[in-house]
Amino acid sequence: MPALDIAQEEVGYLTPEAMTEVAHALNLDPGYVEGVATFYSLFHLEPVGKHRLYMCTNLACMLRGAYDMLAHANQAIGVSESGEVSADGLFSTEEVECLGACEYAPMMRLDHAFHYDLTAEKIDALIGERRG
Amino acid sequence: MPDEKQPTPPSNDITLTIDGRSVTVPRGTLVVEAAKRLSLEIPVFCYHHKLNPVGACRLCLVDISPGPPKPQTACTTPVAEGMVVRTNTASAVAARADILEYELVNHPLDCPVCDKGGECPLQDYTFRHGYPTSRIDAPRLHFEKPIRLSDKIALDRERCVLCYRCTRYYDEIAWEQELTTDQRGVHSYITSQFDQPLQSIFSGNIIDLCPVGALTSRVWRFESRPWDMDHTASVCSKCAVGCNVTMWQRRNQLVRITSHENDAIDDGWICDRGRFDYTEVNSGERVRAPRVGGQHATWTDALQALLDGVRGKELGISIPQDVTNEEAFLLKRLVDGPWKGARVVMQRRTRIPAIERDTLPIRDLEQAKCIVIIASNTADEVPVVNLRIKKAVSRHGARLVLVHPDDLDLDRWPHGVHHVRPAAGGYAEAVRELRGHEYLQNGPVAVLYGDARGAEDGAAIAAAAAELAEAVGGNLMPLYRATNERGALALGLLSDATDLEGCDAVLIWGPGRPPASARFTAVWDFLVRPEHGDPDVVLPGTSFAEAQGSYTNLEGRVQFVRPPLHAGPPLRASWEVLVDIGQQLNGSLDFIGIVGVQKAASAASPALAALADPPAPMLAPTPVLYGPARP
Amino acid sequence: MGKHKAQPPAGPLRGSHGKARHHLLTEHFGTRDLATLKGYQRFGGYETLEKALGMEPKALVDEVKSSGLRGRGGAGFATGVKWGFMPPPDGGPRYVVVNADESEPGTSKDRYIIENSPHMVLEGILIAAFAVQSHQAWIYIRGEYDRPYQMLSDAIAELRDAKILGPRPFGEDYALDIQMYRGHGAYICGEETALLESLEGKRAQPRSRPPYPAVKGAWARPTLLNNIETLATVPWIIRHGAAEYVKFGTEKNRGTRLLSVSGHIRTPGVYEIEIGVPFTHVIMELAGGPFEGRQIKAFWPGGSSAKVLPASRMDVTTDAEALAAADSMAGSGGCMVADDTTCMVETTYRLLKFYAYESCGKCTPCRVGGNWAVRTVAKILAGEGSRMDLQMLDRIQAGLQDGRCLCGLGDSAGWVVQSAMNHFPEEFEEHAVRHTCSVKRVRAAASA
Repeated sequence: MPALDIAQEEVGYLTPEAMTEVAHALNLDPGYVEGVATFYSLFHLEPVGKHRLYMCTNLACMLRGAYDMLAHANQAIGVSESGEVSADGLFSTEEVECLGACEYAPMMRLDHAFHYDLTAEKIDALIGERRG
Repeated sequence: MPDEKQPTPPSNDITLTIDGRSVTVPRGTLVVEAAKRLSLEIPVFCYHHKLNPVGACRLCLVDISPGPPKPQTACTTPVAEGMVVRTNTASAVAARADILEYELVNHPLDCPVCDKGGECPLQDYTFRHGYPTSRIDAPRLHFEKPIRLSDKIALDRERCVLCYRCTRYYDEIAWEQELTTDQRGVHSYITSQFDQPLQSIFSGNIIDLCPVGALTSRVWRFESRPWDMDHTASVCSKCAVGCNVTMWQRRNQLVRITSHENDAIDDGWICDRGRFDYTEVNSGERVRAPRVGGQHATWTDALQALLDGVRGKELGISIPQDVTNEEAFLLKRLVDGPWKGARVVMQRRTRIPAIERDTLPIRDLEQAKCIVIIASNTADEVPVVNLRIKKAVSRHGARLVLVHPDDLDLDRWPHGVHHVRPAAGGYAEAVRELRGHEYLQNGPVAVLYGDARGAEDGAAIAAAAAELAEAVGGNLMPLYRATNERGALALGLLSDATDLEGCDAVLIWGPGRPPASARFTAVWDFLVRPEHGDPDVVLPGTSFAEAQGSYTNLEGRVQFVRPPLHAGPPLRASWEVLVDIGQQLNGSLDFIGIVGVQKAASAASPALAALADPPAPMLAPTPVLYGPARP
Repeated sequence: MGKHKAQPPAGPLRGSHGKARHHLLTEHFGTRDLATLKGYQRFGGYETLEKALGMEPKALVDEVKSSGLRGRGGAGFATGVKWGFMPPPDGGPRYVVVNADESEPGTSKDRYIIENSPHMVLEGILIAAFAVQSHQAWIYIRGEYDRPYQMLSDAIAELRDAKILGPRPFGEDYALDIQMYRGHGAYICGEETALLESLEGKRAQPRSRPPYPAVKGAWARPTLLNNIETLATVPWIIRHGAAEYVKFGTEKNRGTRLLSVSGHIRTPGVYEIEIGVPFTHVIMELAGGPFEGRQIKAFWPGGSSAKVLPASRMDVTTDAEALAAADSMAGSGGCMVADDTTCMVETTYRLLKFYAYESCGKCTPCRVGGNWAVRTVAKILAGEGSRMDLQMLDRIQAGLQDGRCLCGLGDSAGWVVQSAMNHFPEEFEEHAVRHTCSVKRVRAAASA
């Protein structure tokens, strides 16, 4: 799994070529690596945005308006539903499960950092910073 | 010192009660197996007696006391003394029905078009253990189907119950992972890696393993229903391992081949050659009548033409790898007698010489602490023995020593394989150096040897192997390639020659290319193949599916075949044709019935002693209808 | 290795230090450099480890047994007893594997602990390792916890520099090492044997038990698995003694624990409570109670896997026994609170989606039943349901429990449905049969 992580960081997502390379490096069958990669939510087998907004919509966040935040984020990056990549390839959203920061709901993970107490303005600002 | 009371060692036999009935089984037996002894069916999907139990499908839930209040899976629970198992409590009965219902929630209503119908555990269990009516009105989950896993195997993901037998088999038994599970939860599905076709020679076994119609044979697709077919238990004719198979026929066509489990040899597996390479038996192009000079002829005329054509010439005979012991015996009488001096070569044989002594039975590989494999890529040459080697290594901790220049699939074993790569001609030396290796010092050693596909001096390798076995107290297993190579060698039938170059008259029995030197060629086969060229005489042969007699496998074990197909005139049994030839040449072969041949053969060679008491020849049932299985 | 900068937690410190009465674990949380080795040592950090290394391992196990400490991950198994399950050393490797996969909805206390005092966690791990005669610990941390991973890695680096990790910690001839391993997004990895499968680099599907990890765990070797908070409590117990620890909590559920409180309350946060205080204290006092003009309707006491309780049961105490008697459970300590603007059918739907999504797919009932339940509730929410669907839901939830499934995930999915339908039957009734939602109507009226 750490090897797949490195591959994903480098390529952006896990292509069959990337997985095959990992398999050969570790002396494993590519089929085995494929099975492992497809099991875990953080491994992307389809292209994702350069910046990924993982937005928690599980219960605690849902109670504090997470779905509204998700809708706003989708609108802000210009996609019709979560899971899609923006036209310029810069952003994608994903509805995810509990991220373990419930006291700061609603919240999200943007790339490798948590962002708490989301508001529409905060989301706009975070997106804006990365658009420039 | 006062006498200390020795603790009684735990008995190996455990007595438990299942549904009020008592049964005694060896320690370590699983509850589901103990139930079988009482003819009690505990339904299972994920459990298979050759695979490690996982308790995944939850179908075998039973109530066990003493134990937790919740039901336990019978397939993962070993028996304990005094255990009380109940399969018929309300909770166990409800659990089974519920699990079956869950399996059916997304299962498509494919029975009428599904090849598994009629031999389908899901059907049978639902009938016997499931709810009588369906309460499912939700739309089912859909997958694209069928998926072409290879040109032999089709996958239907909607039928799949995710018992994981197929992926576990691939992983535990074949040591490959080209079949894998993707995704998670209800969206999990079985797939070949990156949707590429399956390559493994062991892939076909997943068809037999699959408890539903998810994995089916494309070769047998939509051919027939199980109750439509007759079957015989026979022996595979594709290599020297001699796996036991069941051959199924319908309308005198060979429609499929499955494993007939024999723990002594194949452990329940067959390879894809044995499983799928049978369709030419049903070919419409089969030779149905003798031919002389391209024209149809009678047997009398054709045999006459054959005998005339070879008289006085340098005769070479190429025999098929699946020549039976009986046929080989008769041919030997001919080449010792009226055809003295004829050269006899066998298709696909190795350069390993005959071996007189007792050799290692395949099953005993599991007892070995070290397995040495010399000059053979077992996955390719003796595939099912390769699986037994893998079992010995992964289940019984045997160490592996490989003597081969290439990377082999056995190198995958992550816990240490000693792999020596000799240069050409360097085998004997390499083998000698193994004597002191640590892997060979800890218990029984199995020494398996091939001939590097004919590239090396087989006799030298055999000698080196024998020396090694002697030195470390090991047992030998010669890895012959041709089906009945050991039998033919035991009869002294095979010449040292590797081909028929120089012979001016040749009889090509089975597949084989006549040499350029041949001025007269007779072909005796069930198909005229391109390599046969333009023969002067063609005799219609029988295929392995019509042959009667026996093969001797690489262990030296004589096994009797049972033909599923009926060879009516103008086909003649090969042994009969040989007797006919012998009669015509000098009246030397005077046998009535194959049993007579077998008894004579048993006297000819100690290796064929089993032929002294052959089973009654079971001929294939005369079919009611002839013609293609699928009209 | 670089500088080891003290990193403050990413968000404002919400929780214990403000209002909670007890600070066994959280005593120094909020101190600027508590996350560094020096900062931790200022409060006596690693003195307990040094002391432990000079004790008999069995004495450590006994002390933890006497303390009554129970696992804080969710199962609540007696920790000392679990330590005692480890077989005697046989010369081969043995492992301590730390479950930092915290993914139970509503639970953030492990993250909170790691971000505030990673060294407290590490000290607990090392004491445990010595107690069960292991030399190698693995921390399995969920992949989404980037900061906590970084903080623990930095802390481990500090320990290596200080030779507290290495062949001779504090001069004792007992090698100790800790490695980190990141998960990649699977709730099921919180289940012990699934975690081990993931650690071994496979698809994370739970194993059949027995054998239990103590006998055959990571790479088939004896393994002790404990939750972050459980291990973080160990230094306190060894330092102050079991006799002090049992002064807190109830007879069967000793000590304090951290509760993450979230949802429709004014001051969400992670609060250290004495086990046994009632939830009214937690929800109404520590967490500030409901918003203006709203009333608490329901709460999940210990993560979404704990059966939901109606507000009328808020007087139930926080100990495992009381919660079990109330037909719920203490679970992971992730308390989520919903007020009267919440439609319980919607919450059931969302939680079921979670369980179905996270189901590993190994066993039939959870794989099929979870998804079937989701589709049935979706149908009801879409206004296309009927009484039949309610009966179906009841059937499905029964089929998920009572040992039918290979692990607890399936049971939890069943409990979600069972408890919601049990306590709020009129909401399910009106959705399924009359195709209305009175909560939505109230919400719409309120915002009109």
